[in-house]
Amino acid sequence: MPRVSLNQIAPDFSLPDFAGNTVSLSDFRGRRNVLLVFNRTFR
Amino acid sequence: MAQLRHDYTRFKERDVEVVVAGPEDAGTFAEYWQDHSLPFVGLPDPTFSVLKLYGQEVNLFKLGRMPAQVLIDKAGVARFVHYGHSMSDIPSNEEILALVDEVNSSGAPVT
Repeated sequence: MPRVSLNQIAPDFSLPDFAGNTVSLSDFRGRRNVLLVFNRTFR
Repeated sequence: MAQLRHDYTRFKERDVEVVVAGPEDAGTFAEYWQDHSLPFVGLPDPTFSVLKLYGQEVNLFKLGRMPAQVLIDKAGVARFVHYGHSMSDIPSNEEILALVDEVNSSGAPVT
């Protein structure tokens, strides 16, 4: 399974958020740091 | 999630956007966000596209995915990667905030 390499460009992605707005990692480039959290489940 | 919510202002002050991805569908996300007044970006990923891209670990014995966190700086570079080995294996906010301070002060080139 691929893993993210430290100090390398993180893989970009585009996905609609739960309200339907498309969110891309690259949207934050140059503006914000991103803490990407992979949640297991809400239950 | 409550842990991150608690210190969200401190993350925001440090120019950090918290983006939460998970396998649930949009309806489940919306309900959870509303119930808990979460200020984060919520990304339903029922097809596991981002989860696979980032290699979130699957623990076959527990039949679930383990939590993972990736801190990406303004240049798009992964500066911290943590793959949990259990549900409770989550770095503390203090640990992440200290890393953010380090990232923000390192003057990494923004491209």
